[in-house]
Amino acid sequence: MSDVNIKHLYKVYPNGTKAVNDFDMQIADKEFIVFVGPSGCGKSTTLRMIAGLEDISAGELSIGGLVVNDVEPKDRDIAMVFQNYALYPHMTVYENIAFGLRLRKLPKEEIHKKVTEAAEILGITEYLDKKPKEMSGGQRQRVALGRAIVREPKVMLLDEPLSNLDAKLRTQMRAEILKLHKKLNTTFIYVTHDQVEAMTMGTRIVVMKEGYVQQTDAPKNLYDYPVNKFVAGFIGTPQMNFFKVKLTRSGEEVEILFTGCGAKTKVPYACLRKADPDVFGGIEMWLGIRAEDLSVTENGDGAAVKVKVSHTEELGSETLIYGNLDMSGEGPEGVIIRDDGSHSVKAGDVITAAVNVRKLHLFYTDTERTALPRIPLFGRLHCKIQNRALHIGQNVLPLPPALDCSDGECLVTVPTDAFTRDGELECEIISCEDAGGVKLAEIDAGGERLYAALPQYNGEKTLRLGIDLKRISVSTGEGTILPLPAVNRTDCKFVKRIQKAASEKGKKTVKSAVFGFQSGDAFFEVSNEISQKIFTALGIKKAFTAKLRLEYTPYGVAVARDGIAATVQKTLDYGAEKFLACEAGGNTVYVKTEENYSGNIYLMPDFGNISVVDTEREIKII
Amino acid sequence: MEGKKLRSKKGSERLKLAIIHIVLTLICLIWLVPFFILIIQSFRGETGMSTNYFFPKQWTIDNYVKLFTKTKFLKWYANTLIVALAVTVLQTLIVLMTGYALSRLRFKMRKPLMNVMLILGMFPGFLSMTAVYFVLKEINLTQNIFGLILVYAAGSAMQYYICKGFFDTIPKSLDEAARIDGADRHTVFTKIILPLAKPIIIYTILTAFIAPWGEYMFSSFIMLGDPDKFTVAVGMKQWLDKESVNEYFTVFCAAAVVVSIPVTALFIWLQKYYVEGVTGGSVKG
Repeated sequence: MSDVNIKHLYKVYPNGTKAVNDFDMQIADKEFIVFVGPSGCGKSTTLRMIAGLEDISAGELSIGGLVVNDVEPKDRDIAMVFQNYALYPHMTVYENIAFGLRLRKLPKEEIHKKVTEAAEILGITEYLDKKPKEMSGGQRQRVALGRAIVREPKVMLLDEPLSNLDAKLRTQMRAEILKLHKKLNTTFIYVTHDQVEAMTMGTRIVVMKEGYVQQTDAPKNLYDYPVNKFVAGFIGTPQMNFFKVKLTRSGEEVEILFTGCGAKTKVPYACLRKADPDVFGGIEMWLGIRAEDLSVTENGDGAAVKVKVSHTEELGSETLIYGNLDMSGEGPEGVIIRDDGSHSVKAGDVITAAVNVRKLHLFYTDTERTALPRIPLFGRLHCKIQNRALHIGQNVLPLPPALDCSDGECLVTVPTDAFTRDGELECEIISCEDAGGVKLAEIDAGGERLYAALPQYNGEKTLRLGIDLKRISVSTGEGTILPLPAVNRTDCKFVKRIQKAASEKGKKTVKSAVFGFQSGDAFFEVSNEISQKIFTALGIKKAFTAKLRLEYTPYGVAVARDGIAATVQKTLDYGAEKFLACEAGGNTVYVKTEENYSGNIYLMPDFGNISVVDTEREIKII
Repeated sequence: MEGKKLRSKKGSERLKLAIIHIVLTLICLIWLVPFFILIIQSFRGETGMSTNYFFPKQWTIDNYVKLFTKTKFLKWYANTLIVALAVTVLQTLIVLMTGYALSRLRFKMRKPLMNVMLILGMFPGFLSMTAVYFVLKEINLTQNIFGLILVYAAGSAMQYYICKGFFDTIPKSLDEAARIDGADRHTVFTKIILPLAKPIIIYTILTAFIAPWGEYMFSSFIMLGDPDKFTVAVGMKQWLDKESVNEYFTVFCAAAVVVSIPVTALFIWLQKYYVEGVTGGSVKG
C-alpha cells in the first residue's frame, strides 16, 4: 500500500514565516495528485516535507501506514524528480540511474537488469554511456525519471519536472509521465505552477495559495465548482471574467446590476437556487463567467450583455474577443469571450453577448468564497411555532426544550447535511443529483424548497426526513437560538511538573518530570507522544511559554471528579440527547451528558480525541 | 556617412592586443629578473656576497655539490617536505570539510562563526607566536616536527571561504537527490561533492603546500637551537648571517633554486585547476 496520509501539516520557518498552513489530505494508493499554485504558495515545500528534505513543524505524515515525520528521506521509500534534473554531472547516465541501487548494495546483475529495463521504458538506451552534459533537456529529464523508477518507490514525487523544457517537449513528456504512472501503478505527487499541466494530469488537484490549501478536487470539479475567486481565476485559460454586481430577486427572476458600468440583465432564479439567500439583498458580489459561457448573439433576448470590443485574437479554431461592458471601452468591466470564429467581429464593434445562465459563479466580495456552491451550506424555512412545535406547511415537528420559543412566525436555518432519513418531515423530492459522492436532493417541505444532502436515495418520490435539531438556528421576533457549537475551546499552557515518588526500596524519594496541560488549576498529564509533538512544533523553550488552546467536541468531554472547574449555566435538552452549557475560564463549554447536574462541576476532556492549537501563530499542533 | 572614414574593427582590435601583450611581456621580464639573478649567482665560482659585474667570470656547479655534501641542507629539505606534505593532507581535509559544512548545513551560530573566522583571519598569525610557543613547550612539542605540523594545520579551517564559495555553486538538489537515493552525508560528500570539486581540491592542496614550504617565523621560533630539525627557510637564513654570508651566499642561491623546484613543478602541472579553483566561486553555474 502506498497511500499518503497528511494530517494538519505545517511548515513554519524560524523567522515566523508560515510556508504551509494546516495541509490536510488523504492520498489513496495509485492516485496522481497535482499540487498547483503560484510561486511561493507552499506547494514545493509540502512536497519536500513529504520527501523528508524539509523538517515538519507540526502535523503528522504517514506513508503506507507508517508515520515518517522523523524518518530519513532514504528510508521513506520515495523517489523524487527535480526541476533542474539534479543529475550527477561526473557520472554517466548508467551510473546516474544505478547510483541509488549501488548504495542499496544490490547485486551487479540485478542493477544492470533494472537500469537497462528503465532505459528501455524511457527510450534512453543509446545514451547510457554519455554524461548528462552531452544530452538535451528532455533526455536529461528522462534520465532523472529513470533514476526514480528503478528504485520502485511507494511514492513518486515530481517537483516541476517539465518547467525547464520547451512547450512542445513539455506536452510530449506530460503524456509520457502519465503513461509511466499507468505502467508503474504507484502513487504520484506532482508539483507544478502550470494549471494546464495540473488539469491534464491529476486525478485530483490541490490548489494552493500563500501556504493555504484552497481546494482539493478532481480537475472537472475544480473548473465547474471553484470554492473561491482565486481558484476560479487560477484554473482555466483565458481567466474567468469577474464583474462586481448587485442581485435583486423578484419572484422567479433575478436582476443583475453591473455596478461598474450600470448595465443590467435578468436571469431565472432557478439557476441561482443554490445561492446563499442573503445575496439577493442587494449586497455587492463578484459575478464570475467563463469566456466560453459568453457567446456572440444577434438577438438580445434572455440573459445578455452589450460588449464594446477592444481587440480580438484569432487562434485558428476559435477567436478570443476582448472588450468591455462599459461603452466608453474603459473601466474595470473587462471581458473575454471565446467565440467559435463564425462571427466577424472587429475592434470598436458593440456586440451582444449571451450569458450561459447555468454556469454562473458568485463570490462574496469580502471573503471571496463562493456564494453559489455545488452543495449549498444551508437552506431557510419560513414556518410557524405553535404549542412548542414547528409547523412547516402541513408538517408538525415537536420542538425539544432546548429550542424553547414562544408562538409566532419564525425563520429556521437548516444546514444541508443536517437531514436524516427517518423523521417526521414529509417532503417531496423534486430532483436529486450526485454532487461528488453526496446525494443532493432538492426537496419541497410543506411548500418550502431547500436542498438536503441524503445519506442514501433510491429514487423515492416522497420521503419522511428528520432534522438534527442541535444544528439548526431559529430566528423569531424575540431573537435567535443558535445551533449547538461543534467545538469547545479551552485556553491552557503546557507545563512541566516534578513528581516525587518513593523508590522501590522505600528509603529514598525519586523525582521525575511529567508534562501536561494546565488550564486554571487543573493539570492533565499527557502521553509522551503528545509532549513530543508539542516540543517539535514549538521548540523546548517556547513550549512552556506559548498560549495554547484545547479544542474538543461536546462529545469529547465528560463530567468527572477532577479537571477543569466549570459552573453549569443551563441544560440543553434536545430530546434524544442532553448537553450542559458550562462556564469555564471565561469560555462556554458544552458537554454531552446523561444525567442532570447543577452548580460547580469538573470537566475532563478526552485526550485521545483532542486538538491543540498554538494561538499566537494559529497552528494546529495536534 | 560620406567623408567619415570608417576604421576597420579588426585593425583597432589588433592594435589593442599588441599594446596589451607588450605591457604584459615587460611586466613578466621585470618579474623574472630576481629569479634570473638567483640562478646565475648559484653558478658563480667567485665567493662573496656580491660582485661588481653581472655575469660570473668563473662558472661552476661547486655550489650545488657543496650544498648537498657539506651542509645539512638535505636534512632540512626532508624536514620541510615532511612538514609540508603532512600539513597539505591535514589542511586539505579540514578545509574541504569545513567548507562543505558551512555551505550545506544550517546550524545555530553558523553566520557568527563565519564572521569570527573571517575577522580572526585578518590578524597576522605571528601575533600569537609567543603564546603558541609556551603552549607547545608545555606539551613538549618544541624542537619537534609534529609541533610544527600542529601549528601550521591548526588554523586550517580559517581558509574555508574560497572552498565554501565553490561548494555554494554546486546545486543543493544534487545533495538532495543523493540523499533520496540512499546516501548519507558522508557518501554525498565523498561520492558527489568531492568528484565535482576537483579544481578547489587542487587549489587547496597548492595553497596548503606552499605556506609551510617557505614559512620562516614559526619554524625559526619552534625549532630554535637544534640545526638538525631546521626547515629550509630557517637553515638557509643562517647562511645569510654576517659571519657566514661571504662563504655561503652562492650556496644559498643554489639552495634557493633547489627549494623552488617542487613548487614550480606543482604549479606548472596544476595551474589549469588552480585558476578554475580561484575563479570557480564566481563563474561556475
